[in-house]
Amino acid sequence: MGFGKVLSKLLKKKAPVPTGKPQATSKSRQSERVSLEAIKNNLTDIADVKYKQIKTINGFVTLIYYESLVDTQVLHQMVVGPILRQQETVIHAAEKVGENDLNQLLDLITTGYTIIHLHQNSTFYALSTFSAENRAIQQTETESTVIGPQDAFTESLNTNLSLIKRRIANPELKNKSYELGSETKTKVAVLYLNNLVNRENLDRLCKKLEEIDYDGFMDISMLKQLIEDHPYSPFPQYNMTVRTDMAVQYLLDGRIVVVMGNSQSVIIAPTSFFELFVSTEDYYNRWMTATLLRSLRFFGFFITIILTPTYISALTYHPELLPFELLMNLQESRDRVPFPPVIEVLFIELVIEILREAGSRMPTKIGQTIGIVGGIVIGTAAVEAGLISNMLTVLVAISALLSFLPSNFLMSNTSRFIRYIFILSAGLFGLYGQMLALAWLFIHLLNLTSLGNPYLTPVIPRKWTDLLDSVVRLPLGLLQYKKGISRAKTKRIRPLDEE
Amino acid sequence: MDNNKRKKLNGYHVVFLVQNTMVGLGLLSLPNKLNSMGYSQWWLPLLLGVIANLTLIPMIWLFLRYPTENLYTLNEKLLGKWFGKFVNLFLVLYLIIFISSIVEGYLDLILIVALPDRPITGPLIVFFLVLLYIVHGGIKSIARFSIMSFFLTIWMLIFLYWPIIEGDPRHLLPVSNFTLKEWLQASRNGYFSMVGYDLIMIYFPYIIHQKRAFLHGSIGIWITSIVYFTVTVVSVMYFSPWQMEEVVYPILKLYKAVELSFFERIDVMGISLWVFLLLSTASAYLWVGKKGLDSLRNNNKTYHLYLLAILIFVFINIPFPKDLQDILYDQIFYLKLAIILWPNVLILVHLIRPKKGRTVT
Repeated sequence: MGFGKVLSKLLKKKAPVPTGKPQATSKSRQSERVSLEAIKNNLTDIADVKYKQIKTINGFVTLIYYESLVDTQVLHQMVVGPILRQQETVIHAAEKVGENDLNQLLDLITTGYTIIHLHQNSTFYALSTFSAENRAIQQTETESTVIGPQDAFTESLNTNLSLIKRRIANPELKNKSYELGSETKTKVAVLYLNNLVNRENLDRLCKKLEEIDYDGFMDISMLKQLIEDHPYSPFPQYNMTVRTDMAVQYLLDGRIVVVMGNSQSVIIAPTSFFELFVSTEDYYNRWMTATLLRSLRFFGFFITIILTPTYISALTYHPELLPFELLMNLQESRDRVPFPPVIEVLFIELVIEILREAGSRMPTKIGQTIGIVGGIVIGTAAVEAGLISNMLTVLVAISALLSFLPSNFLMSNTSRFIRYIFILSAGLFGLYGQMLALAWLFIHLLNLTSLGNPYLTPVIPRKWTDLLDSVVRLPLGLLQYKKGISRAKTKRIRPLDEE
Repeated sequence: MDNNKRKKLNGYHVVFLVQNTMVGLGLLSLPNKLNSMGYSQWWLPLLLGVIANLTLIPMIWLFLRYPTENLYTLNEKLLGKWFGKFVNLFLVLYLIIFISSIVEGYLDLILIVALPDRPITGPLIVFFLVLLYIVHGGIKSIARFSIMSFFLTIWMLIFLYWPIIEGDPRHLLPVSNFTLKEWLQASRNGYFSMVGYDLIMIYFPYIIHQKRAFLHGSIGIWITSIVYFTVTVVSVMYFSPWQMEEVVYPILKLYKAVELSFFERIDVMGISLWVFLLLSTASAYLWVGKKGLDSLRNNNKTYHLYLLAILIFVFINIPFPKDLQDILYDQIFYLKLAIILWPNVLILVHLIRPKKGRTVT
């Protein structure tokens, strides 16, 4: 963290001082008087901007809109038809644009509004006609569960908001709106339940969002990296999901959900380390099953980063650790391998990484074939060729599978990265090196914060009641309290049943 | 989050800071250190706990009267600027030697048990990197690491099951088979393992509930004493008198008694896991040393930490003759004793001072 701080200080010195909100994008667009000429001057070289002139009973009307953002049928239904029949109805529905608000008018055009210009008194009206194609609500492929609602967020901000709002029918559910990205002007909504959310958390998040000075966002994960407390850490400090029920579950716990236009995932803040292993399915399963699966995911993380390094240190430095029979087995399986265990492990781990990366880049149909080819051909052939040992193939396969257990994909990527630190330290100093790496991991996790809240909360609990819903998930009736990390205003979920 | 707040340490933090700065390398050789009392040593850790708890009283009493001072600033305040600074310099030098002694002791052990035929430099550098990383987070981060390392290591008490079933409880009797000299000798050597709670004099101003610091400190001391007590009882049951005398690290021997079908040589795993206890002890001491340099130079600079680490590193690498080093590390005991009794001197000065003030005004 120390080096990170120094680095960020240096970076801050170099970066230009942020000048408040990035409003003045182009100074040439000062507030001019609105006129048809001015609009045309500003929208030169845009092929899909249309100026449609219509003759009505009251005189000429010009419609200005982007052809790519406005569907022709919608335009005819909402604007052209009514304007020919009865001009006033459209004018009443539309918004009048001020005489000097050229910038606002241009922004409206670029976001899919149709501008109605009445020639007889040279006034301008704007009407929302945004009707670009949206993807339908579909199942999630990245975070699928067996039980539970199957609808996932889409890339449309309004659809996403509706998916949340139809689940929480409550006026306490607020959404603040932001416009981020000095060039893209991406819409961002901050959702929270006003009666539960911790003000300090909310203020911190809003302050971070307001301070962002970045030109554009392709996905919310970019925004997430910009507003994290510790940008130099390998760990994701906010949860990200495409599951609607997960977003709602955390909103009910007093967290804040950030939704961004053109981005499928949403951010949940603050989040603890442990929650990145929690799936909403845990609440749909029976509590014992849920407990079993949760502990599998949580301890699986530690096993996946420790399993192959232990193989290295046991074979390189501490063969006496293993019982005699096991040691003989191990030695027999690798008697044809000419490398030291570190090289062997690094080799096969890299092969796995390559397979995984190749599989995720390839078209689905070929990807499956490659998976089989990689798994069988490379695995078996490498063992037969004497490059790796049988035993190691099993261990690597287990740890590769374990690394996919966390419900959060970013966390499973992190575990892949962390494993290399452990492999190298085990190669250098055996078990001692592994323990030092573990100490580093823990102190790093202990120092991390998510929106200023300690990241490792349920392990070192802020509230003892957190433990009821941690590695074990007790029956839902016992989970009366909000989590310590959300510091919600209302502590109880509901009063205890009195029968 | 609360880096800017002065008060950071809650009750749990204090308990485990006190507890973890005490448990370090000392525990590994405790039954051997107490050996002069023979089989009667098993109850001695409880007595040492009482002594530690008694010496905690003047510390807390004094610092409750100066709630915003630490030992360094208080020295300057009560003893005058120059003499105070001299004492502080002495303290910092002591800390350098002390940290060197525990780190070197541990790494020597690692090199013998887990990494034979390796030079000390590599493991030492990596140890220092992690250590500096911990201390960088400040006292709160050290406290949280202490909590973590307590829970990551305390489960190893399960391994005492095997020595207990193999041991002979009749070794525990008679209780008082020793002379006064033997008892003094054992207490002197054993008290090595008890020191560490005295660091509360440095982090006292950061404690939130200062009024309850004595309670929390005592809980920490008693957790340690009970762990020590358990270990000495089991050692007495398990070892023969000859082994008690000759085995330098009896805990490693106790590990070897463990019989598991899937894991042999628990001692290698145990001594590697011990690095958590060492890191938490050494980081607390290093932080205290850094505070000392800060007060000597009247400013708060991060490079003081690196300077201190380099000094310790160099000190470990100076090729002292082994016997000189042993004498040096052994004689530190009197310094430790002096530090534990030092608050009494300060209390005396504190009591005299206001009287002087009254006669002047």
